[in-house]
Amino acid sequence: MQREGFNRTSVIVHWLIAVSIFFLFISSWWMMGLPLPSKELQFRAFPFQLHKNIGITLVILLAVLLYMRLKYRPVAPKASDMSAWAYKLALLAHVAIYLLILAVCVTGYMSSAHTRWDTTWWWLIDFPRIAAPDEEMNEFWGELHTYFAWALLAFIAAHVSGAIYHSFRNDGIVRRMMRW
Amino acid sequence: MVDGLNKSRLPHWASILGVVAIVLGVFLTALHGAEWMKHSVIATHMPESGVMPAADCPEEELEEEGLTLGQCEFLVDYVAGFVESAPEGFSDSMKTLALIGTLLAFVSVIIGGALVNYTAWSANAAIAVFAGLALIDVLQFSVVVGAGPLIRNFYLWSVLLWLILHAMLLVGAIAGRQFEAAKA
Repeated sequence: MQREGFNRTSVIVHWLIAVSIFFLFISSWWMMGLPLPSKELQFRAFPFQLHKNIGITLVILLAVLLYMRLKYRPVAPKASDMSAWAYKLALLAHVAIYLLILAVCVTGYMSSAHTRWDTTWWWLIDFPRIAAPDEEMNEFWGELHTYFAWALLAFIAAHVSGAIYHSFRNDGIVRRMMRW
Repeated sequence: MVDGLNKSRLPHWASILGVVAIVLGVFLTALHGAEWMKHSVIATHMPESGVMPAADCPEEELEEEGLTLGQCEFLVDYVAGFVESAPEGFSDSMKTLALIGTLLAFVSVIIGGALVNYTAWSANAAIAVFAGLALIDVLQFSVVVGAGPLIRNFYLWSVLLWLILHAMLLVGAIAGRQFEAAKA
């Protein structure tokens, strides 16, 4: 049996990823405005660790989403709902979003790996140190992290605009990802 | 076998309102979550004396962050100013409202999905959730408006903007429910 929409796990993971990404954007703008860390000024410690926790979790959620999408492939939308070229464009945008999420998470982790701060995932699992602290490398990966994040935001804006377009048309497209 | 999703008989207004509620709900869940974190972080890491230590601004950190020495020192003053400007109980009130707001905003995402797939209960649930979110905005407004000029400048416009958005969603859901009732 092939479904017209995505399966429930994909739907739940999709929305968890959406909330996480917005939280990461909003909270990162705020945490970068906190005082630089010192012995007495530790405002950044919790938000930065949380940022890393959610970022690493995002990679796992993304893997689950991709697995579910490939295992339970929904049928292509009807031509009356979405033309073939628009469907191809939407697929390309989805692939770009997946790649950018991965790129943002990997570059963020690489940037963090070159600082003097260790990573303890959800304050439970210590990640092994993969590199010595190196300011230049930290800056290099950090800049990539920022550029990929802005590109991701641009693609998300296009993705959301597409969803709103289809909601105004009241076709079956947005219902594919809203099956609780 | 293919299950049908193109239910053109489903109300147009619910499709639009549902998606807008979901988009705003996702954004607001993150926004309220971040707000809750802000107050928790500031309260937890403020020195017990209430006096902020001097900023630590090593040159390599300034270069990495793209900050001048003055900006780096201002980051400490900024947090100190925020704490100084907040009246007693402000942080706890905002934290509680942000926590309830996070939960309600997440529920609004689910309700938005129910609106898009229009079910009999979705309009009533949407009215309840949008009213709850608008109430959170009103309560935040009442906390912020008496909290002095710095806090007002920091929060008031975004609180008012969300209040207007939630009021629009609320009247949209009420109008939609009336429209469906008139059709029946």
